[in-house]
Amino acid sequence: MIDARKTIVVTGIGVISPYGIGLSVLRDGMLRGQCCLNPAEELYPGFHGTVAAVGALPSLIEDDRYSRTDRLAMAAARDAVADFTGSGSILRESGIVMASTVAGLTEIDPEISQGPAAWYQNGGLTRAASYPVSRVAASVGEQLGILGPACAVSVACASGAMAIALAANMLLDDAAPMVLAGGSDALCPFTLSGFNSLQALDPEPCRPFDQNRNGLNIGEGAAVLVLETLDHATRRDATILVVLRGWAMTNDASHPTAPQKDGIGLALCIQRALEMAACGVDEVGYVNAHGTGTPLNDIAETHAYESAFQGRSRPIPVSSTKSYFGHCLGAAGALEAAITISAMQNSALYPTLRLTNPIESDQVDWLRGELRRQPLPMAMSVSAGFGGSNTALLFGRPRA
Amino acid sequence: MNTTLPVITGIGSVTPYGPLAGLIPTEASLQPSAITAWSTPGLRRAFLVEPFRPANIVPGLKTRRLDSLSAWALVAASLALRDAGVDLNLMDRSRIAVFFATGLGCVELTMAFYQSAAANGWAGTDPITFPETLSNAPAGHVALFHDLRGPNVTIGSKSFAAESALLQAASLLRHGQADMAIVLAGDTLTQAVYEWYEVAQLLDPACFSQEPLSSAPGFVPSEGVVAMVLEAADRPASRPYAALGAGRWATGGDASAGVRQLLGDLQPDFIIYSAPSASSSSTCSARDLFDERATIFPAQTVAAGMGDSGGLLHILMALSKRPGSGQALLLGTSAHGGYAALRLELR
Repeated sequence: MIDARKTIVVTGIGVISPYGIGLSVLRDGMLRGQCCLNPAEELYPGFHGTVAAVGALPSLIEDDRYSRTDRLAMAAARDAVADFTGSGSILRESGIVMASTVAGLTEIDPEISQGPAAWYQNGGLTRAASYPVSRVAASVGEQLGILGPACAVSVACASGAMAIALAANMLLDDAAPMVLAGGSDALCPFTLSGFNSLQALDPEPCRPFDQNRNGLNIGEGAAVLVLETLDHATRRDATILVVLRGWAMTNDASHPTAPQKDGIGLALCIQRALEMAACGVDEVGYVNAHGTGTPLNDIAETHAYESAFQGRSRPIPVSSTKSYFGHCLGAAGALEAAITISAMQNSALYPTLRLTNPIESDQVDWLRGELRRQPLPMAMSVSAGFGGSNTALLFGRPRA
Repeated sequence: MNTTLPVITGIGSVTPYGPLAGLIPTEASLQPSAITAWSTPGLRRAFLVEPFRPANIVPGLKTRRLDSLSAWALVAASLALRDAGVDLNLMDRSRIAVFFATGLGCVELTMAFYQSAAANGWAGTDPITFPETLSNAPAGHVALFHDLRGPNVTIGSKSFAAESALLQAASLLRHGQADMAIVLAGDTLTQAVYEWYEVAQLLDPACFSQEPLSSAPGFVPSEGVVAMVLEAADRPASRPYAALGAGRWATGGDASAGVRQLLGDLQPDFIIYSAPSASSSSTCSARDLFDERATIFPAQTVAAGMGDSGGLLHILMALSKRPGSGQALLLGTSAHGGYAALRLELR
């Protein structure tokens, strides 16, 4: 028996990605196998790499109070509620959980370190005000007139998925009638330089899960999901896109930046999401992996899938959609949740691009080459990040 | 779903009062101290954490390459666990969560990273520093040091990051996603942060002179980290400080109506104000909501100086005054129209 007040559903999805605005634009690009990763050299002197950038942002939100990350978030949030038909009070009282790692770092120059007061007096004061990660959530609230509880999550690359998990908890607590949850991050010299200094970037388009993988590419974008309880969605006659059947968060507690080699922490996370959903390992039809393309992440993640899905009657289909438009950091988990839902809606298992020589595993079915078409009643999105955090989100099709 | 109230069983802090396990001695009172960590154009004052060696308090702790926020989080969390009398070896560490609230994150090393970019260009930045600039580094280090493998969350929330973290950590316990949570809230004060406040003209005149705090608008910046151990239910041999009841927070709307709805028929015995600015007149706007017999703990200047992450220090300072047992309401209102309200059952 389903408890509609404790069942979390997704009723709206907003996306801004290197493909443009909207999930359908993203979906069409991915169905075509279009890769948005391009060479870039102008991001800072000395940078030679590959990134995926969002084109022009909507002009309505040109305002120097907002960072580029804020504006990406606002564009995705507006897209998420574009078809919202409920009463204004529902939206006004809704909650917001937005993730970001970059936030307002996009607006700050290294010169700040030479004399902060002078930098502020020369026009930096307003720009620096967008620095706190909480500004990303506040910006969405200001854009849509939302006055409910709002917070921002900053858990490195697991942030976007974790925002969705925390939003689900808020709904279980009846903290708001709906929660807009997602993530946003913009391309920025600070993070590009940081990952470059760690030698984590592949100068060419990344090859997640390939034996010859050589690192990640950075992208930018934002995604926002509208979450509410099944009871609330039914009462307002909303279209239910998917059910968030299970979610879980764990930590590796193993290393500040490297994933646990055997993937135990991530495997536990997946198992807990399956347990929450009371779902067997054979019921999951697809995993949208974290799949950064770094040597350490991808092998640890492979071990996690082998462990968590042990006992399946056939290998678990897995792909990394970071091969299409890179790693969007704090937005990645939310964008990949949106892609996972799109895969379910379109019965389309997106392959990993450029995966020619996959990591050997007889328990993982690496999706590569042609797009695979098959009904997908249940699919999972998995995220991990620096600091050891893991998040798993398990989506199921709504019952007819 | 666990229907018992989560309880605060341990407290640790690294604040201008020093590194402490448990409550703050009630005789402790503070004046702002002069800033010497960077050159200032005259006297500049704030409530500062005095330098100390973390390994002297938590043996084996290595913090040399860490942002102060990470170092303080490690010390505060360890002191809170010590205060709670928790033996982690007897617990399933994959069911212990870490929930960290911060307004600005690891600003010290973020500025160091900018310095390396200014000196060497973006192509010559320091790889050791970069991961430590991430806001979730402190929570990650707490998990790593204590081998805590449950949910590890770092959040920010305008004005009410600490209150939000406490509520969301309690939610994890209520829904069986963890058995225990270490909730931390804090920020560090750097030159870039202080000068932002100064250029934005947000500081109390007492920041620029030896005069006592004024009633003029403005605040005295503060820094530190407070950690609280939150457990799903009373544990034998634990000494609970308070049980955490329902709560809510919002970025706007009718605060009075929200608080009334939260309280129902309950008249709290104690009101603990938490506010981003102790001198904000809005902190008193809900006074008419309560029975006049309620004891009120006004917003505390040192805690208010921590901004978004000051909520746990407000609670700690109120508990330290040992008000006795009874129903309490933690109430924060912000100048921006938001509010946070949490019911606490003081034990």
